[in-house]
Amino acid sequence: MNEPRSTPERRWGLFPALHAGRFASALRSAPLTAAGLGLFLFLVAFSWLGPLLIHTSPYAIRPALLFRPPSWSHPLGTDDLGRSFLARMMYGGQPSLGVAMLGTVIAVVLGLLYGMSSGLSPSWLDKVLMRTLDAILALPTLVLMIFFAALVRLDALSLILLLGFVSWPGLARIARNEVLAYKQRDYVLAARQFGAGTGYLARTHLLRSMLPIVLVNATFTVADLVLTLAGLSFLGLGIQPPNPSWGGLLGNGSNLAIIGAWWLILFPGLAIVLAILAMNMMGQGILNRLEGR
Amino acid sequence: MFAMILRRLLVSVTSLVLLVTIVFFMIHATPGGPAYSILGMHASPAAVAALNKQMGLSQPLGEQYVIWWWHLLQGRLGYSYIQHTPVTRLLRIYTGRTLLLDLSALGLAALIALVVGLVQGYLAERPLGKVIGVFQIVFYALPVFFVGILLIYILSIRLNLFPPGGIGHHGLDSRLRHLALPVFTLTLPIAAGLSRYFGHQARQEYRLDYVRTARARGLSDLRIALHHVLRNAVRPFVTMVGMMIPAVFVGDVLTESVFNYPGLGWLLWRSALDQDYPTVSAITLFIGVLTILGNLLADLINSILDVRVRYE
Repeated sequence: MNEPRSTPERRWGLFPALHAGRFASALRSAPLTAAGLGLFLFLVAFSWLGPLLIHTSPYAIRPALLFRPPSWSHPLGTDDLGRSFLARMMYGGQPSLGVAMLGTVIAVVLGLLYGMSSGLSPSWLDKVLMRTLDAILALPTLVLMIFFAALVRLDALSLILLLGFVSWPGLARIARNEVLAYKQRDYVLAARQFGAGTGYLARTHLLRSMLPIVLVNATFTVADLVLTLAGLSFLGLGIQPPNPSWGGLLGNGSNLAIIGAWWLILFPGLAIVLAILAMNMMGQGILNRLEGR
Repeated sequence: MFAMILRRLLVSVTSLVLLVTIVFFMIHATPGGPAYSILGMHASPAAVAALNKQMGLSQPLGEQYVIWWWHLLQGRLGYSYIQHTPVTRLLRIYTGRTLLLDLSALGLAALIALVVGLVQGYLAERPLGKVIGVFQIVFYALPVFFVGILLIYILSIRLNLFPPGGIGHHGLDSRLRHLALPVFTLTLPIAAGLSRYFGHQARQEYRLDYVRTARARGLSDLRIALHHVLRNAVRPFVTMVGMMIPAVFVGDVLTESVFNYPGLGWLLWRSALDQDYPTVSAITLFIGVLTILGNLLADLINSILDVRVRYE
């Protein structure tokens, strides 16, 4: 037992905030973030744990049970093919949330790489890279996604890649501004004096300093991607039926609105709104704390 | 100011070049190239080769890229194989309706945002200001396609107050009734987003000394809001309106699809479902160009409003 006791900082490396004790106290002091996180965890549990509880297939067609409104035996009703709408909502949450989160991971990686490279580049190159970014930011993302969808049939993997590809510029701008804010700080200059290379500085000091603000914007990006993917699936160009997704379910429900099946509209719509609200609340909560409000 | 406009133009031109290049390479990156999109995935190799030769698709990619630009600069946007008509003709028919919808919504949203933002700035941290803040976050999170379909369900299907879609043909009254729900739906999130930004801006403005001085001089709240705060905050506001333009077009596509409003967004949607790639790429380019021009216009208005502005 002559190993040194590891401190929270050492054990959790880049993520000291994930240390259990700190995490709990951080949540107590940021009620908005806690509420958002709770809502988000509820939706995740609904989508991934829910299917384990109900044992109902989202694909099983039951001609005797068309358009049943919500009741005790069919909690969220049934759809135009008699399928359990609860099961379809649960399974539909998986691509709706999962694709958005994985797309965000790609956007964060691309954004950090581009933004940090730009911030650490000589100023003329930095200017060129930032002008290019302005140019990309001027393009409407959903329109580009529709264009992609017209050319190729999109599956979950290509949706993740393309959503990540269209949504990194905002994060790149933030990463670059953070690098500029931190690279002249004393501790970074001191590390440089001791012979630290640019790559080392970027990994240890800069990345760590910008982590909170990147996290905030990652949560906003998840919200944006949930919305974009839902819109795309609503239009019939994202996740393809019979595979359920919240946007696709809402699109199907809106075609059936004339019949008066309100539950086919209300539940998927609410799920999308709650997911977006949860991510925005989390992000805004962290942001309020960072700004010391 | 001339140098600033020049630099701003450079950004717009870069956007344009990037947009055209992305669209070009995406078209040619699809498996098999455009010929398969037209003939279907099971076309015979001979038919594909013949079509490629006819359309100039067998030439080297670099050459095609140059030709693509040459055609675009001449305004030749291609031919829709689904609708059997040149795409430019389609754009002429559909663009006006989209501009009517989008400019109405953007204008209305800007007006609402100015009023709400000023009120919010005046209220600062008082409870009513916070309530407005909550409404802004909720309305901003409401997807237009969800709001649109709820409105259709409640106001059109249940209460029969408004037509559920289309544009109407018989006179002004019918047209306005068809326009009401789409405009309202599109206005909601834009107004929420804009007023949230502008409310923040106005709050900061209200903290400055000149407001206190104006109060000390005994000016009325309304006069301070309109003659002092609004005047100083109007330039950042124009910038914000410019930044909302891509979001307006995104909302436009979804709104037009929900309400079957035959504009550019609706045409983009239908053509994407039909895999009508010449039409889709032309509309993508066209909406991209409108977005870029809108942004440029916002910045130019800004520079006219105040000569102190320096673009950095």
